[in-house]
Amino acid sequence: MTTSPIHSPHAARETPVISDAAYLASLKKVTQYYIVTAFLALFIGVLIGPLQALNYGGINVYDTPIIKGLLKSYYQGLSLHGVLNALVFTQFFISGFLLYLPARDLGMRINMKFAWFTYALMTAGLLVAAVPLLTNDATLLYTFYPPMEGSPLFYIGAAVMVGSSLLVVGQVVNMWIRWKRANPGRVTPLVAFMSVATWMMWAVASLGIVTEVVFLLIPWSLGWVAGVDPLISKTLFWWTGHAIVYFWVLPAYIAWYAFLPNHAGGRIVSEPLVRLTFVMFLLNSTPVGLHHQYADPNISVTWKTMHMFLTFLIAIPSLLTAFSVAASLEDAARARGGRGLFGWMFKLPWGKPTFSAPVLAMISFILGGAGGVVNASSAFAPVIHNTAWIPGHFHITVGTATTLTFMGISFWLIQIPQVLTAIGGVMYFYVLFRMLLSKRVDDGEVTTPIPYSEVISPAGQDLAGSSALVRFTEPLLALWGMGCGAAAGADDVRPSAGPPVCQR
Amino acid sequence: MALFLFVTVLASFSSGTYPSLTGEGGHHITGVKNGRLNPKNFAATPFATPGLRQNADGTYEAFVVAKAFQFEPAVLKVPVGQPITIHVTSADVLHGYFIEGTNINTTAIPGQVSSFTTTFRRPGTLNVVCNEYCGTGHHNMLGGVKVEVQEP
Ligand code: HEM
Ligand SMILES: [Cu+2]
Ligand SMILES: [Cu+2]
Repeated sequence: MTTSPIHSPHAARETPVISDAAYLASLKKVTQYYIVTAFLALFIGVLIGPLQALNYGGINVYDTPIIKGLLKSYYQGLSLHGVLNALVFTQFFISGFLLYLPARDLGMRINMKFAWFTYALMTAGLLVAAVPLLTNDATLLYTFYPPMEGSPLFYIGAAVMVGSSLLVVGQVVNMWIRWKRANPGRVTPLVAFMSVATWMMWAVASLGIVTEVVFLLIPWSLGWVAGVDPLISKTLFWWTGHAIVYFWVLPAYIAWYAFLPNHAGGRIVSEPLVRLTFVMFLLNSTPVGLHHQYADPNISVTWKTMHMFLTFLIAIPSLLTAFSVAASLEDAARARGGRGLFGWMFKLPWGKPTFSAPVLAMISFILGGAGGVVNASSAFAPVIHNTAWIPGHFHITVGTATTLTFMGISFWLIQIPQVLTAIGGVMYFYVLFRMLLSKRVDDGEVTTPIPYSEVISPAGQDLAGSSALVRFTEPLLALWGMGCGAAAGADDVRPSAGPPVCQR
Repeated sequence: MALFLFVTVLASFSSGTYPSLTGEGGHHITGVKNGRLNPKNFAATPFATPGLRQNADGTYEAFVVAKAFQFEPAVLKVPVGQPITIHVTSADVLHGYFIEGTNINTTAIPGQVSSFTTTFRRPGTLNVVCNEYCGTGHHNMLGGVKVEVQEP
């Protein structure tokens, strides 16, 4: 693979050494379990999609004997579809992917027993929640707004499943802190930086749904308390419910930023910009949830308006991503002789599914993002709120951009792409053909390695020697929950020049 | 710039260009305080007898109750060209109140009243749909608004 020269005045990084092949293999095994579980959930969830689409087309298949035996109603199917695709598939995939990436990138060891325990707990939560879903006792759609009530098992299972993702957060953040301690004054490698920032964002984001389920819905469904406030529950749901979309797309952004340019033979346009993007998501993902409640009564308009403005603000890091990733691809294509206004696109490695799937996903995300700007506007919202526009919006964002990127990524991490091929093919026949026609790959990473940060990152090793933005974004990570970097050692994370963001 | 936009957006909310959905829409409703009521005791409120009423000062108010799986009244009759404040609430779970072809689209929540003022300018019938999932009969939860020319 040719990589165009990276003009960096800084010292090159050293590749972290995980010479212990057995450890790396065991790390990858846990990741594969997560990913295969994720795709199994997606497989079931997605099979229901076409039934719904037919229903929209005026063809009712829910009364046919086979389907009647499995699904009591359209809504039971829809609840399974939403929960399995949007909550289970995404969370399992991300838990595996963003455990593997930072551990590999930092060259750190993690406690494998704990990692397996987390996987087992998450799966147990899933299975518990699956029982009432399958018996039609939790036909609540994936928003499960009270006072519509489901079986307590559904809430308990969901709480355990989502709660276990916080154990992954703990393991990754702990790993990063240990790395910071061992490497004072060093820049966190880019891939690890992005992964850690995503997990930190999710830790803040998940608090809403965890609070709603643990303190309101579980006691109520068990009959311990008489009622539950529907409005406050909905607000807590959307505390998480909007930020969760960044939990879905940031892992895709990681692949777009870090791996795509590299596979196209180019480089990241601006690394500090990437770091800034992730810090913006870390800080701004959560306080936007009220944009899901424009239509709800008795919520202050000042707060609704503030959340609207913050929603437009959070569009900025996504725009930065769109333009800078596209620029890096163009840069790579031109470096390989691409010409013309659009002709350069033919110089990109479309034949590689690890490349073409995420790029097609990005194209879908352009439309998704544009639609999102419409949704965010309180003036447009009443025209589209809860109309078919909304499923349209999230099927081209999470349903395509995230899902298709994750499918592409799976080629690195899973030995048997043929299985995924079938699943992917149901939805995306371009990828279907690419996948079907490509040769069996036993270990994707052997043929097309996932790049390490040192390959793609011009930031250099030392915080002191890196650019201002790199120095500035690093302590922002540490700021999060760590009591101003106390745990990581404030000296490590304080910018050596520039504003004293963190003082002990 | 952002501040300017922020102020203008807030102004459009408070001037009613976009309904703020807070409080009782400038009216006083017995049994409703700050847009909230006891969902188990409609008897103490005008929601006990849903429909249109004309107040002593000539203003119109309409009370709509959403419950699985119908609206009360099923068809709301309103006079054309008159500002009407519509109050919507729910008797059980969350419902939606969407008047097709308009930007009237609000959530009916038990314990909360959604109040907004609007003027129907053309006579005719508009469809109302519940657009928040509320149970097995959700897709049959339809209603209407009949905009009538008043007898002189
Ligand atoms: C074969 C592909 C798919 C088809 C044909 C499909 C179709 C649909 C349809 C027709 C609806 C119903 C909307 C409604 O009645 O309100 C729906 C809902 C939904 N879909 Fe899909 N879908 C597909 C794949 C996906 C994927 C890949 C995801 C996410 C990763 C996804 C996430 C959702 C969610 C979250 C809902 C909303 C569920 C709810 O309202 O509770 N879908 N889908
Ligand atoms: Cu949102
Ligand atoms: Cu309804």
